[in-house]
Amino acid sequence: MTPVLSIRNLSKTFGGTRALSNVDLDLEPGTIRAVVGQNGCGKSTLIKVLAGYYQPDADASVTVGGQPLHLGHPGAGEQAGIRFVHQDLGLVSTLDTVDNLALGRGYEHTSGGRIHWRAEAQSARTALADLGYQLDVRRPVGQLSISERTAVAVARAVSTHRIATQVLVLDEPTANLPASEAERLFDLVRRVRDTGIAVLFVSHHVDEVFAVSESVTVLRDGRHIHTGPTIGLDEDRLVELMIGKSLAAEPANHRSMARSEVVLVAREVSAPALTSFDLDLRAGEVVGVAGITGSGRESVAMALFGGVSRGGTVAVNGRTIPSQRPDRAMAVGIGLVPAERHANAALDAHTLSQNITVTDPGRSFVRGVLRRRSERSDVCQWLHRLHVTPSDPDAAMATLSGGNQQKVILARWLRMEPKVLLLDEPTQGVDIGAKTELQRLIAEAAVQGTAVLIVSSDSGELARLCSRVLVLRSGVVAEELSGDRIDADTITAATLGSGRRANLT
Amino acid sequence: MSMHAGSSVLEPELTVEEKTSTRAGWARRTGIDRFSGLYVWAGLVILFGLWVPDTFLTVSNARIIAGDTAIAAMLAMALILPLAAGVFDLSIAANMGLSVVTVVLLISHGHSVPLAMLAGVTVGLGVGLLNAVIVDRLQVDSFIGTLGMSSVVASATYWVVDGSQIYLVGEPGFQDFAAKQVLGLPLSFFYMLLLALVLWYVLEFTPVGRRVYAVGGNPQAARLAGVSVRKVVFLSMLLTGLLAGIVGTILASKLGTANTSVGPSYLLPAFSAVFLGATQVLPGRFNVPGTLVAIIMLSTGVKGLQLAGAPLYVNDLFNGGALIIAVALAARSTRKQT
Repeated sequence: MTPVLSIRNLSKTFGGTRALSNVDLDLEPGTIRAVVGQNGCGKSTLIKVLAGYYQPDADASVTVGGQPLHLGHPGAGEQAGIRFVHQDLGLVSTLDTVDNLALGRGYEHTSGGRIHWRAEAQSARTALADLGYQLDVRRPVGQLSISERTAVAVARAVSTHRIATQVLVLDEPTANLPASEAERLFDLVRRVRDTGIAVLFVSHHVDEVFAVSESVTVLRDGRHIHTGPTIGLDEDRLVELMIGKSLAAEPANHRSMARSEVVLVAREVSAPALTSFDLDLRAGEVVGVAGITGSGRESVAMALFGGVSRGGTVAVNGRTIPSQRPDRAMAVGIGLVPAERHANAALDAHTLSQNITVTDPGRSFVRGVLRRRSERSDVCQWLHRLHVTPSDPDAAMATLSGGNQQKVILARWLRMEPKVLLLDEPTQGVDIGAKTELQRLIAEAAVQGTAVLIVSSDSGELARLCSRVLVLRSGVVAEELSGDRIDADTITAATLGSGRRANLT
Repeated sequence: MSMHAGSSVLEPELTVEEKTSTRAGWARRTGIDRFSGLYVWAGLVILFGLWVPDTFLTVSNARIIAGDTAIAAMLAMALILPLAAGVFDLSIAANMGLSVVTVVLLISHGHSVPLAMLAGVTVGLGVGLLNAVIVDRLQVDSFIGTLGMSSVVASATYWVVDGSQIYLVGEPGFQDFAAKQVLGLPLSFFYMLLLALVLWYVLEFTPVGRRVYAVGGNPQAARLAGVSVRKVVFLSMLLTGLLAGIVGTILASKLGTANTSVGPSYLLPAFSAVFLGATQVLPGRFNVPGTLVAIIMLSTGVKGLQLAGAPLYVNDLFNGGALIIAVALAARSTRKQT
């Protein structure tokens, strides 16, 4: 079959650094190609070249449907029939589905110029039904679930424009998606493929590659490493291709901590979607919290910390802490690495130093002055211990990759030597190398006696780190897994409810 | 977000040598990125030195600039605090104006100078307290809340003096408070230096400053890192009001007269200086030394144009233009950074 998208000899140099070098890629119509690689492998640069956002180095050529693409011109990709759905989806959350679909192409209107709402609503419903979704197209998209919003974004991308869609580029579409909803998205992608559109599925989640793609292209350090059918590859081999070396076996942390003292006691804690949550957390143990979206999982860490209004009691070493007083929670020794780093944790425009010291800026305050040198050496020590790159304390937070930013946030709290460390989706949206490192650091903190609670939608992560896992369903702890019962499949099955689990065991 | 990813991951791969060989490295060595205001200032001095050498390049002109600038500079300093904490105070100049008329009115009615000065400061503190309550307790957006407040304060000012001009006669002691010359410069200039020094110390060398900037950077992240965001916002609004009252008292002494329009005219110069200052010395945040550089540059430009024969409205033109350019520059450097 003749390829619909053909990239030849694509290089892109920034300053003295090559973000892409001599990449070739062919994509046949009606296929799903995964493009994978760690953060910084050149995936985003590739997408931005296709979108026309970057001008590549000379000698590169890209053809779409046999026609050469006008490189370096924003909008040229759209003109040629390439459509993009980015991670943030680009929807206006206060508008409904009909309006969002019309954003790009305009409204159908009657001869009088009035918008033909009924026809618009009908075509919106049809477009979404084609993708396997039935939803109220007049509800603001902000009220839809994440996978429904993704569907709206995809529907908008592939809906008939003046130029027919030939290639759909999905840029990390599952980064914000809980595992249970990801399967719906895969189904959607297959439906798009079945219409003859070629799909470029950009991801750094290895399991998704196997779930959805027919062929896979691996990029590493801007170079094309491998392209081939997905069948015949396994996860370990793919990870090896992505990181260029084999993964060291990680130490499992399934130690039982039954004998150590209870540090944190929570009773009948309630918060949005969380009905009642009890917990006894012991020094040095790692406890996981699993649950599907809406099970109350998202509220647990924030509620225990008191970042939101909550009911019930939380006490550390016998000292109860009030709701909505993070400062008091910190004073008794709790630390929180919250989910959604950009909104809840990162000071983007500030230096790494300021990001790390914000929880206790007074530590280098000696005789009335902040001692810059002592603060610097304090911060440098943490940056090195957590292998943050760049390890320059004066670098701006926003210039770091997601994984490194997450390490900085973790450093912020490890520096406080907390008795209890609450982690909410600690490795969400970070590349596989940083993920392994973050998990190692979390395990280390526990070995040193910190009581750790990990809330995660990644069952594999919970299985790797936790000595017991609390499974939430409908706002309450429905089950507690420990010992031999801790493995990724059992955890996932338990989050989905007892019926499904029975089949597995 | 994904737009930044490409360049951000490249950054650490550049070695030190490569960095300094780039144009950014050149800019860093000459300080043109952080001290561009001083270069522009030097350019202005040379320009007006050649244009109107007889009046511009004189010691007395330098003194006039220093003296005139002191009030605007102090008001700009007072404005840094809320802006650094991420909230606006658009009522600051009106607040200062109310303080001016209060002081002048009380003295002209025969009350003692210390009492009048205390009243002027208290008025400022009171307006600051109202602002703090409106923003923190009533959860009104600071931009809208203080915009409304500025109108309320302006009408209060009109009511106090009944719309008329009032003068101080025969109070040389009070006038000396701001205008007495020391080392050839008015006392108000030294008050300004003192305020700048204290504020610089607090913002740059104490944990309090770090917390203020953290709140300005991302209030939610600051709150979850244990910073009492509400306390920081409340106190910065309160302190700004207090400082506006103090500056108003000093201005009353300098002018020896008051009317309803004296305060509001200081609003734009103060905002211009602080926003332009955020591109200087410690770029990327509202800071004291940068604001000083900005205000020296702005007042030199305005004075030079006046001496060169430009009409009075050029003052507003210059400050307004500078505010827009400052924000555009800041937006540009943010784009480059990320």
